[in-house]
This record gives sequence, C-alpha cells and structure tokens, in this order.
Amino acid sequence: MSGKEFFANRYRQLGWSFREVEPRQAIRINQVNAKGKNLPERLRSLGVELEKIPFLKEGYWVGKSRVSAGATAEYLLGLYSIQEAAAQIPATLFAGVKGKTVLDACAAPGGKTTQLADLMGKGSVIVALDVNKQRLAALANHLERCHVRCCVVYRLDARQASSLDLKFDRILLDVPCSGNFVSDPKWFSRRTLVDVQRNSKVQREILTEAANCLAPNGEIVYSTCSLEPEEDELNMDWAVKTLGLQIQVVNCLGEDGLTAVYGQKLDDSVSRCRRIWPGETQGFFVCKLKKRLNTP
Amino acid sequence: MKPLTVFASKFGGKVALNPEFVVEHAQRYYLLNPALRKIVKRNFYCAGMYLGKVKGGVFFPSFNLLNMLVPIAANKVILDRKAAWLFICGRDIFRKGIVQSMGSQRRGDCTLVLNEYGECLGFGMLAADLGDASGRVVFRNVLDVGDFLRREG
Repeated sequence: MSGKEFFANRYRQLGWSFREVEPRQAIRINQVNAKGKNLPERLRSLGVELEKIPFLKEGYWVGKSRVSAGATAEYLLGLYSIQEAAAQIPATLFAGVKGKTVLDACAAPGGKTTQLADLMGKGSVIVALDVNKQRLAALANHLERCHVRCCVVYRLDARQASSLDLKFDRILLDVPCSGNFVSDPKWFSRRTLVDVQRNSKVQREILTEAANCLAPNGEIVYSTCSLEPEEDELNMDWAVKTLGLQIQVVNCLGEDGLTAVYGQKLDDSVSRCRRIWPGETQGFFVCKLKKRLNTP
Repeated sequence: MKPLTVFASKFGGKVALNPEFVVEHAQRYYLLNPALRKIVKRNFYCAGMYLGKVKGGVFFPSFNLLNMLVPIAANKVILDRKAAWLFICGRDIFRKGIVQSMGSQRRGDCTLVLNEYGECLGFGMLAADLGDASGRVVFRNVLDVGDFLRREG
C-alpha cells in the first residue's frame, strides 16, 4: 500500500488526476517590519523578479533572481519570510487576532508563528509549542530575525497543551502530516498508508487537546499539506461527530472538502473545508472550526 | 540586567529597560510585554524579545538589542551598498566603504553598523582611528545579520 501508482489511483478516486507539479518559491512580506520601505521595489532593484499572488494579501511568487531570496539583507532583517503560498493561508482565516491569546500548537520552524505575530497588535500573545529541539532552535531564530515580541515558546507536545492551564481564543493546528509529493520529490517511495494512518491518529489526539483548550467562542484553524483524506476530511468529519466542533465557512483558495471518500459518506458540513490539489501551489488542506454552542 | 547595560554603554548609549519585564532564563535575557508577563511560566524555551546571552562570562547581544540601541547609541557607521553586503558576509570593512560615521572614531571603540536605509546590520570594533587609516581595514566585524544563516548552516 505505497508507491506512486497506488497513491495516484487513490487521488483519481477522489476526482483528481495526478500530474507532476513544479514547486514555486513564494515570500510573504512582514508588513510591520517592512512598513514604509517599499520592499517589492527594493527586491526588484536587487534583481529579484516578483509576481503578486492574487489570493494572498502579502504574498509574492519569486521568479528569476540574481540573488538567493533566503540570503538578502532584507530577508536577514526580517522584512520578509520565505513561505510557500498555500501555507500562507491558515493564519489569515481567523476572524481577527488582535488582542487575542493564540496557541500555535505545532509551531516550528515558525513561518506561521511569525505571520500570526505580524497580524497581531498590542496586548496579543502567542503561545508556541513544539517538541523537537532542533526545530525549536530554528523557531527561535525565526522569531528573532522577524523581531517578534509577543510570543512564548515551550518545548511541549501539542497533546499536552492543557498542562499550560490556559484557554485560547485562537488555535492554529498546522499538524504534523505525511506531506505531499510537490515538496518532497521522494515522497512516493518514502510514504505508505500505514504512515498516513499513524499521522491521522496523532492528529485526532491533537484536535482533542485543542478542543479542551479552546475558549468560549474561540476558533481553531486546522491545516495539513497532506492530500490524504484520512488526515483531512475524515479527521474533520470525526471532529464534528466526536468533539462537538462545527466547521465554519471560509473564503480562500481551494475546492470544497470531499463529502464522499472511498465509499464513505461524510457530514455535509465537511464541504466547507478547503482542499487545494497541487497546481498553483503545493497540495494543502485547511478548515476552520468552532465549538457548537451547547458544547461545554 | 547588568550585562545589557554594560554592553549598551560601549556604544555611548544608555538602554532603558524596565527590570520588571526583563527575565533571565538559562543565562539568556528576554524582554516581555505586559500581556506575556502575566502568563509566562518558568520553564519556557524562549519568550518575548530575546536580548542576548552570557556564555563563558561574555555577553552576546541579540539583533533585537542592537536594534533597540540604534536610536540611542552614539557610535554608528553607515556603509555603502557594497560594503554592507561584504559586512553581512562576515567581512571587515575598509575606510572607503564607510559613507558616514557618528560618535567615537577612536580605535578599539564599539560601533553599530547601518546600511544606506539606516537598518542595523550588526556591530563591530574600530581597528584604527577613522581619520588615520586609508586603504586599511578600519573596522572589525564582530556580529552581523548573516549570523542567522551561519547558525543554521
């Protein structure tokens, strides 16, 4: 239960014909740090070709470039970050983060953490968690480079978030997932359905913990870069039926979430999720959840 | 707090930090905002704005701290575009790369290094009096933002 043919056949059953996709490098302007600096023009003067990403406010695709986008002074000064286009979507889906207490439950290496910080104002707090020491070091570097002031980082498994004894207004669950073939050329030889199922189990445990830590009227944004429905729609269907969560309508790139998966009929509200098949971006899945009103 | 104030004084500036919001953890210093101060527990990995660390008795500043010093430090040099690029590649600076200098110009003094936009690229130490040296290295690179790449390399 692995290999390119096996997975391509699964995608075909879900309505998508496999095709090779070239990943495109994208950047996100850190609006607070780059304010008044006319960054796109500065980068163009360095020989970096930029194309505005139509579905993102601060995103640009990097075309031909005389310099590495990850080694300019502007990058090192935190004026922009390198972040895949679809990965820039989740942090923008919350209904406001200013003044809120936000949990970034699987934060490293920190692209979305710095994005959240960029969107937040005074009095806001980000609590960022991760378990891997090397990835935590990368997260700390990222926070320093982007001059983030409002974040506390703990070395803690997302499944133990309630040990912090806090309730969060917003929770970002960019959960560990199986990834997809666009960002990993050896993906088909590395991944099996067993990996997918193992990841799905961990993701459900993280979702359960997040639901426990969510403040009344709070929001969870769940995302993966996996194309496998076990990590996406099936988990959301499970969250609706088991955790008392409700899927919210979001307005972003992507197709409706699948409501029929390999013969299994899912809750109709799962169609409110957004599934992004590889093409303009890598493969991605994103969904916004709230507690149902009668849920404790 | 002392390592921070001593470090700032090397640039002819006085950094004003409220000690209530400065936390030392594992020989690293962090500046918290009031909202963070309320919720931070002792076992954090990092928190708020990282200011620097003490290692082997020596203080290593963060780039956040250097940025805080820009408006208050007396000693600064502004580099031209080419010298700025060489500086962030870890190189020392020749006199001809310095467009403007402010504050001390004496050998051995610490100076912030800014680019043409006034953004802080790091700091260094004058290896010779700025007025004297022509064609020689006048400025030793001590820390530059290229460090972010070297750390992860």
